[in-house]
Amino acid sequence: MLLVLSDEHKEHLGFLPEVDSAVVGEFGRIAVEFLRKGTNPKIYEGAARKLSVDAETVQHGVEGLMYLLTESSKLMISEVDFQDSVLVLGFTEELNHLLQQLYLENRKEIRHILGELTPSLPHYHNLEWRLDVQLASRALRQQVKPTVTMKLHLEESGGDKSAKVLQTDPATLMHLIQELEKALAELKTTHCRRILRNIK
Amino acid sequence: MELSESVQKGLQSLADATFFDMKTFSVFIEVAFRSLLSAHADRSVLDQPEFKRLDQKLLKHCHTAATTCILEGVKQNADKSTISACLEDVGFDAERTEVFYTTYQKCRSDLETLLSSLGRCPPHINDVSWRLEYCIKNGHVHKVNEPSYLISLNVENANNGGSSEDLHFSCTMEQLQVANVLLQPIWNVGRSISWIRSFHRKAVIVFDIQF
Repeated sequence: MLLVLSDEHKEHLGFLPEVDSAVVGEFGRIAVEFLRKGTNPKIYEGAARKLSVDAETVQHGVEGLMYLLTESSKLMISEVDFQDSVLVLGFTEELNHLLQQLYLENRKEIRHILGELTPSLPHYHNLEWRLDVQLASRALRQQVKPTVTMKLHLEESGGDKSAKVLQTDPATLMHLIQELEKALAELKTTHCRRILRNIK
Repeated sequence: MELSESVQKGLQSLADATFFDMKTFSVFIEVAFRSLLSAHADRSVLDQPEFKRLDQKLLKHCHTAATTCILEGVKQNADKSTISACLEDVGFDAERTEVFYTTYQKCRSDLETLLSSLGRCPPHINDVSWRLEYCIKNGHVHKVNEPSYLISLNVENANNGGSSEDLHFSCTMEQLQVANVLLQPIWNVGRSISWIRSFHRKAVIVFDIQF
């Protein structure tokens, strides 16, 4: 699958051949850093002064690289398709190779960052448990009532963590375990294996 | 068993044959126990034909006294000698004591279950549902191609009028396997807790922990 680059995108990336490969490498490093932690406009001004160009030109170049990387990572395009996609830009072979290396080295991390943007439910993080035997309460003395107290740690997509304290009895716990074992067994059925194997 | 003055007075009236003959007394005791075990408060619980000739205020006082005595007995796990001593103190003859104790024994187990369910506790897990899905793509990432589980725990909040809610979360296969491995030993220990009731109905707990 090839990337289709818009004219505006090509124009923004058109700045890259005008600087040497070390500067492009540095722009690539800045683009990945911005994807990780957010943009910092001061970087554009510093680079623009050193290169004697407008800050806006530098910004467009870096943002163009960021968009090239995110779109390629999102679609998980192959090396060959990436090479063919950037051919339309008319860059030198050295620059194409540099861009390809930048993509291949960072695509896994970029896909992980993009994955955090997807709407999702709270995600399992950890489970702590405690087994108690209730001996008495205000309403009834002399009891023998085993209870299982669990602390379920969940994590939201934004990184927020929460912990829910829950309780159950051994009979319900057995039911929970049996149901979860059925859930795990389902993934090993022929039907699920066929789907996992064929949809890639 | 320590009972308040008001409860003792109510029981003394119940022991008095001028108010409650044996037949009325037996029906009354049955009604008192039944009213504690019924799921909904029934305003007409004392509308029995046998109670028509009785003063309503006296009837309600005796009902409150009887139910308080019953609950206190179950709460303290009172045996026959304790119950008999308490009832004799308020004027019950042997026959009335026997009627009371026989019904007490019959309903004791259900009343214990009822009382043990009272009290504050963390939300209680009643059930679990699960869904296995295979994510193909989303708006930000294509070719995800990963299976994941959506687990829903049905949780009852005993402190909030018994309202139930579902707690949803997702997890990978590996995380579900880890969670299942964590839960297994708890169940093995819980299953191994056994107890023996002695002659005096005192629980002796024998733990047999296996890992």
